[in-house]
Amino acid sequence: MQIQDLPYADPGTPDARSGPRFLWWLGRHQPGGQFKALAWGLLHFASVSALPFCVGAAVQAAVDHSGGRLALAGGLLAVAAVGIALGDTYLHRAAVTNWITAAARVQQLLARKAALLGSALTRRVAAGEVVAVSTGDVEKIGWFVEAVSRFTAAALTVVLVCVALVVYQPALGVVVAAGVPVVALAVLPLLPRATRRADFQREKAGRATELASDTVAGLRVLRGIGGEELFLDRYRSASQEVRRAAVRSARMWALISAIQVLLPGLLMVVVVWYGVYLAREGRITVGELVTVYSSVMILTYPLRHFEEIAMAYSFSRPSARRAARVLSLERATDAGGVRDAEFDGARSAGADGVTTAYTDGVRSAEADGMRSAHVPGGDLYDPATGLLAPAGRLTAVVCGDPDAAGLLAERLGGHPAERSPSVLLGGVPLDELPLDTAREAVLVQDKDPVLLSGSLRELLDVPASGCVSARDALAAAQCADVLDALAQGSLDAEDPMDTRITERGRSLSGGQRQRLALARSLITDPEVLVLDEPTSAVDSHTEARIARGMRDLREGRTTVVFTSSPLLLDHADRVVLVHEGTVAAVGVHRELLHSEPRYRAVVTRETDEEAALSGVLDEAHRDALHRNELHRDELQEIEESA
Amino acid sequence: MIGVAPPAYDPAAPTTAHTLPVGAPATVRAYVIELFRRHRRAFLVLMAVNTVSVVASMAGPWLLGDLVERVSDHARELHLPLTVSLFTLALVVQAVFVQQVRLRGAMLGERMLADLREDFLVRSVGLPPGILERAGTGDLLSRITTDIDRLANAMREAVPQLTIGVVWALLLLGGLVVTVPPLAPAVLVAVPLLVVGCRWYFKRAPSAYRSEAAGYAAVAAALAETVDAGRTVEAHRLGERRIGLSDRRVKEWTAWERYTLWLRSVLFPVINLTHATVLGSVLIIGGVFVLQGWIGVGQLTTGALIAQMLVDPVNLILRWYDELQVAQVSLARLVGVRDIEPDTGDRAVAPDGRDVHADRVHFGYREGVDVLRTVSLHVAPGTRLALVGPSGAGKSTLGRLLAGIYAPRDGHVTLGGAELSRMPAERVRSHVALVNQEHHVFVGSLRDNLLLARTSATDAELWAALGAVDADGWARALDDGLDTEVGSGGLALTPAQAQQIALARLVLADPHTLVLDEATSLLDPRAARHLERSLARVLDGRTVVAIAHRLHTAHDADVIAVVENGRIVELGSHEELVAVEGGAYAALWRSWHG
Repeated sequence: MQIQDLPYADPGTPDARSGPRFLWWLGRHQPGGQFKALAWGLLHFASVSALPFCVGAAVQAAVDHSGGRLALAGGLLAVAAVGIALGDTYLHRAAVTNWITAAARVQQLLARKAALLGSALTRRVAAGEVVAVSTGDVEKIGWFVEAVSRFTAAALTVVLVCVALVVYQPALGVVVAAGVPVVALAVLPLLPRATRRADFQREKAGRATELASDTVAGLRVLRGIGGEELFLDRYRSASQEVRRAAVRSARMWALISAIQVLLPGLLMVVVVWYGVYLAREGRITVGELVTVYSSVMILTYPLRHFEEIAMAYSFSRPSARRAARVLSLERATDAGGVRDAEFDGARSAGADGVTTAYTDGVRSAEADGMRSAHVPGGDLYDPATGLLAPAGRLTAVVCGDPDAAGLLAERLGGHPAERSPSVLLGGVPLDELPLDTAREAVLVQDKDPVLLSGSLRELLDVPASGCVSARDALAAAQCADVLDALAQGSLDAEDPMDTRITERGRSLSGGQRQRLALARSLITDPEVLVLDEPTSAVDSHTEARIARGMRDLREGRTTVVFTSSPLLLDHADRVVLVHEGTVAAVGVHRELLHSEPRYRAVVTRETDEEAALSGVLDEAHRDALHRNELHRDELQEIEESA
Repeated sequence: MIGVAPPAYDPAAPTTAHTLPVGAPATVRAYVIELFRRHRRAFLVLMAVNTVSVVASMAGPWLLGDLVERVSDHARELHLPLTVSLFTLALVVQAVFVQQVRLRGAMLGERMLADLREDFLVRSVGLPPGILERAGTGDLLSRITTDIDRLANAMREAVPQLTIGVVWALLLLGGLVVTVPPLAPAVLVAVPLLVVGCRWYFKRAPSAYRSEAAGYAAVAAALAETVDAGRTVEAHRLGERRIGLSDRRVKEWTAWERYTLWLRSVLFPVINLTHATVLGSVLIIGGVFVLQGWIGVGQLTTGALIAQMLVDPVNLILRWYDELQVAQVSLARLVGVRDIEPDTGDRAVAPDGRDVHADRVHFGYREGVDVLRTVSLHVAPGTRLALVGPSGAGKSTLGRLLAGIYAPRDGHVTLGGAELSRMPAERVRSHVALVNQEHHVFVGSLRDNLLLARTSATDAELWAALGAVDADGWARALDDGLDTEVGSGGLALTPAQAQQIALARLVLADPHTLVLDEATSLLDPRAARHLERSLARVLDGRTVVAIAHRLHTAHDADVIAVVENGRIVELGSHEELVAVEGGAYAALWRSWHG
């Protein structure tokens, strides 16, 4: 795998049973890269280790006054230099490639998992963990996976050099071979404590960063009302805590550095002592002494890798465990659906009335090229509350308890978090359809729809029927001033569609965000659109215009709006009051205002006498009432058929 | 073609208009000099301990050279025990001082880093409210997180390590000159290669690493958004698109990784060949010198070993040099905040009375585009003014002018006859407070969250303030009372509770004039209604300018101003405006009321 071939077309199915298994799985999937790193690593470390032999040969040549051997030593050095340069460069390339391909693979796996989990993520504690794995753990996992082959090369080299020294100069070689393991392993016992201190420091630093960003995020409040000094003092003390923790951690690393100087140094002292003794005895040459001394000096370089691999493993083990846990998350409900999308009309064959809406409503691919086949249509009915939203109409739902409204809205889309009797669309239980089909049929826009960052064009590029243009949707949702605000914040966008939206649309006001989200849902143009308080942060002037625009745009389509705003309710074909989990009243706005005190209590804040003055029942409302009674009948039929 | 061209797409390129300035080179330089001056002592100590450790490290090669010299001369006395003792002593000194170098380096780095981040926050909280309103806090936030993070590495490692590396390399060269003077020029043979290679590399590297880091951050950011927007992603069936986006981000990031890898593929051989050239030239030239009898074998040995030791400091310098270059950009962004004129204000300007006047006010955010045009208004003490009108009409802007956050381009906004924009922000806020949708709950105790409004307040006063906004019920039920940790990571408060805290702060701050900008619009209707009762108590007796977003707020006001297109088109009481035939307010009221 080369870097330019990334991303993976398919990052594969990870073995996420445990952290070590996951690490093994990652390593196993880059055998070529690991082999390359090993081979180039061997060349590199071996060439580096050849240097002392060149130095020794040169010194000996000088001692022996041999110009020819000096030139030979120079030639050997040149060969070693080429080996070092080639080996170092290609080892680095192979190692970085291994790191990047492993990191990219994990990032891709995470993206797929996140997309699959969807709404299940926001409910779980796991949401933060997925992000933490992506921002912090991937690097450490990649580090260990990559370091394995590099370490292997270094370890092999150390063994080779020791063997070579024993062969080259047995008496001194044995001393070195005995000393090297001590040097290699001496600092390992200190590493856990050092990494613990480093973790503690990171934790403190995270806390300080959090305080700082929190202070900055609330800066407008602070500047508006005071208390800057209070927060500065708090930050200063947090910042000083970070400093102290960092110095404490550095103390440990400083100790490790000292040991790394002391131990090889002591080995060198022993080598010199013994070597000079041997040299005086005439058992070794001066050149050999220099070679062994220089070798010990150079060996510290591959020996560092023992420390690195230990650290990489201790850092990556918890990271791999977290990644494995995240990658093994599953949705609580079955996204596949027990009922195949290819259901036939048999279920509805015996029934008539409402259920015919269902057979009519099953749209075929031929009829509507943009939609997949077999998306059901028809009336939307919730057996738990008795709520009915007739096909092609605008139904408004008034619910005193906003939390209950949110749960009901979620249920209307099918596959809710909590099990309950399934909502029926044209008689088909949505929970039994595949998740994707259910979402295609019914779009539920919750109270807090998230604007994804990117250009406005990207934001509005959602799977859609294709029947509603962005321009129409933006106009219906009264987004003109939003486009102005976006243009102001963008660098060089001539086309408003190229303006940038920041994460969660934070640069926009609450009302502006709501209107953009509404426009996005209108573009989707689903069979059934469920909106939960879509204009709660929009001013009355604008809300009135949105109510008209939305009604016109959704003409002939099923729309359900949860709201308590009279400006929206007034435009609904049918208003349903849900009280304590069941439908308490059905009618049109003006009529319910007049006839239903509970409704009036939720919708208006006016006194009773004012209400008495304003509510007049006219002919149109009587019609509506009649319609509404019809629906009550249908409602029973559905219950029977279900 | 050999080599890799830099990718066309640069993730580090700015996408939104920069709202806060970036420090000019002169400002950055001045700041760096100031920082060095502040920590001069620590720098000197670091260099001193470093010198000792490097000098001690040269004892080994020097002593071995001496021994080699004597051994090859055969006859002379070796003084082996003495040499070995000296060697061991030097080693212990070196180890102790290496420990000190590492520690002192960290202490210096940490102290500079702490200074830097504290300085930055001090500057940030001193920014004029007008600049904050206009720029938002996003840019500031990215500076305090991303840029501080990047600088952390530079301060913690790069600055001390570079100091160490430079001292180290110079001392080694010095040691070589002292022990084997004729060999010193041999080291210089490799310099041209190193200089040419490094110039090529460092011209490209810093911006490439910046793009690479931004590219990697974008990978994580795309995922974080997918997770955060889980419900929306599922509802709109955006899963495939999000995966596609993540893959695209991976591609963009790895393209930069590939480019920087190519840069290093050039640099690495250059460095390796430099080291080899240094060692080779010392060995061969030195060997020839020995053959000619100009220097001894011992000197050759010492020279070769020192040349071998040069690898470490040179690598150290090269390793951290580009980090420092990357850090420079972050430093410029942090220091840029210093370029903003702090909020000065004229201490002599003080209000006399509570009347709020706007007199023929013009205001625009951009040159030539006025958002408000010839707006005149008088708000008498204790009255309630409601501003209504469609989005984008200029209501919020007018509210901010009345709260003294922006200065009018033309005309005057005065409180008690004194111009608001000329008063210091601290004085303005003791008279006027702006309450908007932002109910930030700070990370910290509930007490801290209230104390900020009046730092001298006693617990009894804090409870009284909570009681005044109906919040003492749930607050008393908390296990740790005022010490309960709230904000992100602590106890999660509902939006309504957050709003109550915001209101309790107002009770404590006690300004006589309030500008409410859709303060309750993000709350659900039930919570909003409950809060409005608390709000009514807080507003009692104060002058209120409410940017009304629900008509019942306007209905309750003494005066209503309908703002359209930057002008006040209707002004009067509810009854007066409803009576206007064909008036905008009247039409709206009817549709609201049926």
